[in-house]
Amino acid sequence: MALPQFFSSGTPLNAAKKGRERVIEIIVVATVVLIGIDLIAKLAGRQFSLGVGPTLGGDLALASLAGNVWTGILVGLIFGLAGIGLSMTYSILNFANFSHGDLLTTGAFTGWGVALLIAGWGVGDAGYLLFARSGSGPGPSTIGASIVASPVAIVAGVIVAAVMTVVVALLIDRLVYRPMRDRGGIPLLIASIGVALALRSLIQFMYGSRTRGITATQDVRREVLGFSINLHQVTLFVVALVLMVTMHLLLQETKLGKAMRAMADNKDLALVTGIPTERVVRATWILGAGLAGIAGFLFVLERGAMDYNLGWFLLLFIFAAVILGGIGSIYGAIAGGLVIGLVHEVSLIWVSSDFNAVAAFVIMILVLLYRPEGIFSGVTTA
Amino acid sequence: MSDERVRPQTATGDAQPAGESSDEGVSAHRDAIAATPESSILQVRDLDAGYGDLQILEDVDLDVGDGEYVTIVGPNGAGKSTVMKSVFGLTTYMSGAIRFKGEEIQQEPPERIIHKGINYVPQNDNIFPNLSVEENLEMGAYILDEVPQDRLREVYERFPILEERKDQRAGSMSGGQRQMVAMGRALMLDPDLLLLDEPSAGLAPDLVTDMFDRIDRINDDGTAVLMVEQNAKEALRRCDRGYVLAQGQNSYADTGDRLLADDDVRQQFLGG
Repeated sequence: MALPQFFSSGTPLNAAKKGRERVIEIIVVATVVLIGIDLIAKLAGRQFSLGVGPTLGGDLALASLAGNVWTGILVGLIFGLAGIGLSMTYSILNFANFSHGDLLTTGAFTGWGVALLIAGWGVGDAGYLLFARSGSGPGPSTIGASIVASPVAIVAGVIVAAVMTVVVALLIDRLVYRPMRDRGGIPLLIASIGVALALRSLIQFMYGSRTRGITATQDVRREVLGFSINLHQVTLFVVALVLMVTMHLLLQETKLGKAMRAMADNKDLALVTGIPTERVVRATWILGAGLAGIAGFLFVLERGAMDYNLGWFLLLFIFAAVILGGIGSIYGAIAGGLVIGLVHEVSLIWVSSDFNAVAAFVIMILVLLYRPEGIFSGVTTA
Repeated sequence: MSDERVRPQTATGDAQPAGESSDEGVSAHRDAIAATPESSILQVRDLDAGYGDLQILEDVDLDVGDGEYVTIVGPNGAGKSTVMKSVFGLTTYMSGAIRFKGEEIQQEPPERIIHKGINYVPQNDNIFPNLSVEENLEMGAYILDEVPQDRLREVYERFPILEERKDQRAGSMSGGQRQMVAMGRALMLDPDLLLLDEPSAGLAPDLVTDMFDRIDRINDDGTAVLMVEQNAKEALRRCDRGYVLAQGQNSYADTGDRLLADDDVRQQFLGG
């Protein structure tokens, strides 16, 4: 009979799919092996040809690789820290917030404004300092905003970055997102793009368009046990780690955290259970925006300079990190951030700095081909 | 809406031989509803409700006595679940009254209704899948400052399997166990009235009896139960009183046994 045969044609189809997956698998494994061999050869200082294609090996100091890995971790922590908030707003408020990147910018500018004001008190005009060196005045090294020269300024900056970003985010929620809370994810997403543009323009209007140096670097690099250590990077590392652990404890152990996870899981049931959903939403904004503001501030601490586009450019990486990790999971955001950050920096060994972002996104796509639901799938905010 | 309602004309008292209507104060049929004892903790009167502009319920009357076990049966789309949701403040109220312990609650939001002593187990998605079993139960007591350990103990005694698996992800449990998580959550505040929406839905046949037994025990311990059930015969057999709902209106009200014995009800709603 023809009919059963027709129905059994699912098998060859499956086989074709399997075959294609197999081919992708072989390509991926071959590439990984080649890169691995190349990396070992480079570290060994050997160079050899495979007969066809590019020559493998070369010269790469272990310290240089370690440097790339370290920077990758730092960048990854920024992505992860910012990604936590993005992931939470996604799972609790049900929309992809495109203005999240500009919350980083908000934190960076407001936080550094205050940090510069404290660090450069008496050195420059207060308005010039508070608006993060817009206009003319003394340079970053004269102001001396560094963890060595004025730790108080840095700590105050972190706090102001968090507080101001929270205030801005709550204000935006009240004015824009809350009135359209029940309209579904797409209208909110589109609104958030508008918010992103408005926020960025406002920052540009207030602080100016100039890319400006911010931090002082004098004595920031120290020799510790034979290693050269950048104290700004260490600060970023420690603060990010502490915040991530705090978030973990908050979500797992506190009543509010559990309510947030419950709401991420099942909004209707949360309402039926008597969880005050609007209060949970507010808490989500406070935590997410606070982390975003601090991430923006720390990013500038490490980079030393900033401009009003900072968050907008980071947003794509943050999204990549969150999607890679499995959207809705804060652990996914952290893991995804680290993967994207590491690939972004370590790939510089092979590709020019114009293309390392491409490498990061290629890795994201490859991982998603295998785990479309992300690394930490199904572990929503838990 | 058309006038071709399934609702039979006999609904107003002709279906049953006269004189048999109210022994022990339980009402028979629509006319007799008003005669329900004053002890009823839930009174629904002439309720019109729906979702947005869409009206589902029309002039629904319903009573649940203190500690009583009441079932609502009826065909698909009759608005059975809507009655429950209305009691719990999840629908758009239009007119009529819902009184709980004498207090009008028809305009109250769910979190206020919980405070008054009603709890609700929805039919679908009635657990937090990524929270542990114990966290699910804790969420049931969210409105209290502290998790009431004695209540948690009682829920665990009622459903021992939940204590064994208290750290397990609730979403990884079987259908029957999930239903226990959902009920346990709703029992955490020791409600006076428990609303159960299709508790046997999606359960394997051998688990259905077990679930009904558990509901019997919850009711025996003093909690009034208002239940919507697809499994109408079993539900009517077990409950104190039943309501038959068709086209958003209640058509019959009587003790479960009498509804089961009623030819009209049997033919129209219980499949003969």
